[in-house]
Amino acid sequence: MSTEPLDDADFDVPADADPARCPDCNRPFVREELLELHRGYDHPEALDETETTAFEEAYEAESERLNVFRLKALLALILLYFVLLMAYAVV
Amino acid sequence: MDPYQGRRSRRLLTALGTLLGLVVIAVPVAAHGGSLGAEARETVTVPTWLFLLTGGAAVGASFLLASFATDRRLIDGIHGWRRSIPVPRSNIPVAIIRVAGVLGLAGIVAIGYLGPDQGLGNLAVLAVWVGWWAGYTATAYLLGESWHVLNPWRTISCWLPSLDRDLPAVGAWPSVVGLLALIWIEVVSPLADAPALLTAVVLGYSAVTLAGAVVFGADTWFERVDPVSRVFHYYGHVAPIASAATATDADREVLDDGQLPLRGPGVGLTRPDLLDDASEVAFVVALLWATTYDGFVATPAWRTMARPLVEAGVPAHLLYPLVLAAGFVLFLAVYRLASRYARPTGETHLSADVLSRRFAPPLLAIAAGYHLAHYLGYFLSLVPVLLTVLGSPLSPPVTVPVFSLPGWFTGVPVASILVGHLLAIWIAHATAFELFPGRLQAIRSQYPFIAVMVLYTMTSLWIVTQPSIQPPFL
Repeated sequence: MSTEPLDDADFDVPADADPARCPDCNRPFVREELLELHRGYDHPEALDETETTAFEEAYEAESERLNVFRLKALLALILLYFVLLMAYAVV
Repeated sequence: MDPYQGRRSRRLLTALGTLLGLVVIAVPVAAHGGSLGAEARETVTVPTWLFLLTGGAAVGASFLLASFATDRRLIDGIHGWRRSIPVPRSNIPVAIIRVAGVLGLAGIVAIGYLGPDQGLGNLAVLAVWVGWWAGYTATAYLLGESWHVLNPWRTISCWLPSLDRDLPAVGAWPSVVGLLALIWIEVVSPLADAPALLTAVVLGYSAVTLAGAVVFGADTWFERVDPVSRVFHYYGHVAPIASAATATDADREVLDDGQLPLRGPGVGLTRPDLLDDASEVAFVVALLWATTYDGFVATPAWRTMARPLVEAGVPAHLLYPLVLAAGFVLFLAVYRLASRYARPTGETHLSADVLSRRFAPPLLAIAAGYHLAHYLGYFLSLVPVLLTVLGSPLSPPVTVPVFSLPGWFTGVPVASILVGHLLAIWIAHATAFELFPGRLQAIRSQYPFIAVMVLYTMTSLWIVTQPSIQPPFL
C-alpha cells in the first residue's frame, strides 16, 4: 500500500511534467486523484475533512471504473474460453 | 545451470514400463540435461500453435482472474498470515549439518576419482546431480533455504584466514557471469558421464570460491559473488519457511521470538529490498534464461540455425557461449523494456529501475516451477540408484534399481509449471498493490510484465514440443 520507503532517487519525473506532490512525503503522482488516494491510505491522520472527502470521492470514482474494468475482464475471459473451445473443436 | 537430467535414462525408464526396473550401470546417467529437456517433453496431439496459444492464454487468464482481487485487506491478510514453528535453541544441529556438508564434499571429490567411471554407478555424479541439484535444490523453494548452513565451502572458509579486501562496486555482475559460465560448462561438457571431469569442475569451483572467500571475506563472497549461493538465496524467498536471510519484516518478528516463521509460498518475494540494483535483476533474468538456453540448444531448430555458421567456420565452442550471452542480453533487454512501458501503463513517476527491481522477484517463482517440472521425475526415478550406490560407493552392484514413474506422472511437470506461473502472477499483483495507491493503476502497471510472461511461456512451451537431441557440433 505504497508504505514502503521510497526517496527521490526512486522517481524519474520528466522535465516537462507537473506532478502532484504529496505535502507529507513529497512523493510525485501523475494525477491529482492518485495523490488523494495515496494520502488516504498512507497519511490518514494528516487529512482534514475536505481531504478525507476528496479521498472518499476518489475511491468511489475509482470503484466505478473498476467495475467497468471487471466487466471487460469477464468478457475477455469468456471470449478467450470460447475461442479456445472453438479452436479445439475445429482442429 | 548444470547437467541435469537423465535424458537417455529417462527414456530407458519409460521403456522399462515396470514400477521398479533394474538398469545396468554402464548406461550413461545423462550426458547433459536441459532444463527444458526430455523430462518435460511430451508428445502433443494438438497442433503446436494451439498448444502455445493455450499456454499463453492460461497465463493471461490467470492475470484477468487475479485482477478481480482488488481488496487491499484481502491481499494484506493473505500475505500477513504466519505460523510459528518451534525450534530447539541449540547450535548442535547446525554444527552437524556443517560438518556433514564438508564430509559430503570430500566424499564426492574422492569417489569422483576413485569410484567407477560410469555416471550411473558413480556416487559422486549421483550425489551432485540427483541428490544435490535435483533434490536438495527443490527443498530450497519447497521448504526453506538451508544452503547458507550446509554450504561446505562456507564452512571451510571459516577455518581459513581472511584478507578482508574491499570488493569493488561491481554489484551482482560477477554472480551473473559466474552463473552463465557454470551453465556453459554444463552444456558443452559431458559432466554427468565423466565422474573425473565432474570432480575436476568441483575442484576448480572450490579453488575459485575459497580463494575469493579468503581475499574478500566469506560473508562478502557468498552473499555477493558466489552464483550458487545466490541461486539458493533467491529460491529461498519462494519457500514457505523463512530464515534470517529470507525473512520479510513479518517473518523477522517471529524469528526474534526464537521460532521459525511459516508463510504462504512466494510471500518472501514481495520483500521490497530483495533486489537492490539492476545487476541483481540481471541475475534473476539470467536464471530464467538459463532454463530456456539449456532446452533450446537441444532442439533440432538450434541445429538448423547453427549449421550454416559452423559450416562457415565458426567454432562450435565459440558459438555456444556467444548464443548464451546474446540470449541473455536479449532477455534482459525485453524485461527492461517492459519495465519502461510499465511507467505509462501504470501512470507513475516511479523510475523504470524501481519497477524492474520490484517486478523481477515473481520470475523466481516461475524458475522454481520449471526446476520442479524438470527434476522431480528425474529425482524420484534415480533416488533408488543413489541409495543403492551409497551402500557400496567403490564397487556398486552391476544392476541398480530405478523407480519407473507411473503414467499419470506426466501431468506433474505441466502442473508445476502452471503453479509457478500462477504464483508469479499473484506475487506481481500483490507487489503492484503495494506500490500504487490506485487499484486500476496497480492492475494496469502489470500489463507489460504479463505480456512478457505470456511470451516467455509460449517460448518455453515451444521448446517443450520440440524433439530433444544431443546439443550438436560438440
